[in-house]
Amino acid sequence: MSLSKTASADGTTLTIQIKGKFDFNLVQSFRQAYAEIGDKTAKVVIDLRETDYMDSSALGMLLNMKKTLGTSVDAIHISNCQPQLKKILQISRFDKKFDID
Amino acid sequence: MHVLVVDDQALNRSLLSVMLKQQGYQVTTANNGIEALAVIDSQSIDIVLLDVLMPEMDGFETAPKIKQRSEDVYLPIIFITSLEDKDSLEHCLAVGGDDFIHKPFDKVILTAKIKAHSRTRQLSLKAHEQNAQLEYHYNQTEREHEIVEHIFNNALENQNEFSNNIDFHLSPASMFNGDMLLVAQSPIGSLYCMLGDFTGHGLAAAVGALPASKVFYTMVNKGMAVNDIAHEVNTVLAQLLPGHMFCAATIIELSSSSKSISAWLGGLPDAYVIDQQGKVLKTLESQHMALGILEADEFERALIHFEVDSTMRIVLATDGIIETTNEEGDYFGEQRFIQALGSKTKVDCHDVLEQVAAFAKGSKQQDDLSLVLFNCLPVPASHTEVESYSPLPFNFSLSLNSAQIKQTDPVLEVVDVITRVSGLKAHRSDIFLLLSEAYNNAVDHGLLGLDSDIKNKDDGFFEFYQQREAALANLQGAMIIIDIRYCPESFCLYFTICDSGNGFTAMNSNSENLAREHGRGLSLLEEIAEQVSYNASGNQIEMCYKLI
Repeated sequence: MSLSKTASADGTTLTIQIKGKFDFNLVQSFRQAYAEIGDKTAKVVIDLRETDYMDSSALGMLLNMKKTLGTSVDAIHISNCQPQLKKILQISRFDKKFDID
Repeated sequence: MHVLVVDDQALNRSLLSVMLKQQGYQVTTANNGIEALAVIDSQSIDIVLLDVLMPEMDGFETAPKIKQRSEDVYLPIIFITSLEDKDSLEHCLAVGGDDFIHKPFDKVILTAKIKAHSRTRQLSLKAHEQNAQLEYHYNQTEREHEIVEHIFNNALENQNEFSNNIDFHLSPASMFNGDMLLVAQSPIGSLYCMLGDFTGHGLAAAVGALPASKVFYTMVNKGMAVNDIAHEVNTVLAQLLPGHMFCAATIIELSSSSKSISAWLGGLPDAYVIDQQGKVLKTLESQHMALGILEADEFERALIHFEVDSTMRIVLATDGIIETTNEEGDYFGEQRFIQALGSKTKVDCHDVLEQVAAFAKGSKQQDDLSLVLFNCLPVPASHTEVESYSPLPFNFSLSLNSAQIKQTDPVLEVVDVITRVSGLKAHRSDIFLLLSEAYNNAVDHGLLGLDSDIKNKDDGFFEFYQQREAALANLQGAMIIIDIRYCPESFCLYFTICDSGNGFTAMNSNSENLAREHGRGLSLLEEIAEQVSYNASGNQIEMCYKLI
């Protein structure tokens, strides 16, 4: 389990990548990952390609992020979900609030 | 040097023999052409002194037969003749003679001529030997190239699997390509494409493709991000390649929804995003140094990320195209390249390459030339092998005391153990979710009695987990029992999670409150599991999860 963040070359996209499991153990580092977001950042990508597991606490953290960032970014993408995780996001109606790719 | 003296006159034979032996030559004699051929067939002869007029077989008949027997190495024939007329001498040369000596013999001239011809003979012998060596090495190299080509083909050429998405053209300047195109799909369905150009061309440039492709395929198979792939390929190449060699490369990934692209661009010419008409919508400039130069800790991972739709195409090319020159030495250049891309609707690689060839007008191809047109179309799902379900009815039980509940986060470990049962791995995310929700409910609400309402306050989410940590530290005399049963007949997993807490009913009889406390977790459980039920006292949850 770990979390890493990268800014795109032009600084407009922040990518947060989560490896292994996405649950309440990441509550602090996930919050920190977007806490000091720059003015230039227009898009946040949560890259779940290496995320095998998530539970409702991860959903809560994502909603929290959306609430915190508000309109300061144009879009929050949840990308590269494995099929079972995509199902969890869809069951929770997250496709209405996030761009799930 | 071994000299064969062919003469029907015994006097001539012995005279020549003596003269030559004095000079240190080995001498063999023959009476006529037939005898001479027999000697040549059985011994190694370097120079032939051949009389013209002899019984049985004369010199004119013998000479071509000797030459026939010595096609590979020059075997000089010096005619011994008393004939003086021009026609006879001409005839001597026509049948294969290389020189004449007139009777009676002049010792000085004879010695000089023999010396001159033996030099030529020696050169020819040497040349013959070198040719044989050369041929041996040539054959050896050919065979080695065939083997290497076989390995390269097997290691690299799977680009045709995705013909809907990828139109490409690779033309190496020599047998081996220093350009490399790799295409692969990740388990979650995203499509990766890597175009690389190693320094130089030919086999020396191509060798780096083997380790690079291995890293690429392994990492795509794990679904890694393009910058992680670039980082790993860089590490491997920096370690393997000599200092002056590197690999300019672009790696792109089309997401499984085919709506977005991430790209890592290191050292190749500009890539383009074009529409169906070939109009350039976006130019993607190289951001980084080529692979194989920087140390792992200096490596730059920044990506380019953008949205695409199914009409868009990404154009990747190595410098071979824009650096193609015509007879005047002008480059094809970016401007002509962009024009070629827009020369017709849905241009293909063949159309573009035709224009490059027309520009070059037959000038020799200097470098490997590669072009990729990547269509941002949805990728058909890859076929994955399904593990069969175990026929054995496994049971799993785990009982945790306070110390274990405080110190561990057992859910993932339990999932790891359960998914060892054949067939369950494919359900690992669901199994994790069910266990995680049930276990954390048991801890948070059953044992610790925390109130989920905190989460709804500003920053309450974080506060909730702070409270949880504090409460957990004081936990005493508690217990959680996890029971999991796999039923192969019904293809079901049954979970029972029981805690030593007071239960929901005892704490709060209001069922509305119960639902709210569980909140999002509860509704998720009910969607994922076939059935969810609680016991009367509210400290035990039972779930049934259907595998098929």
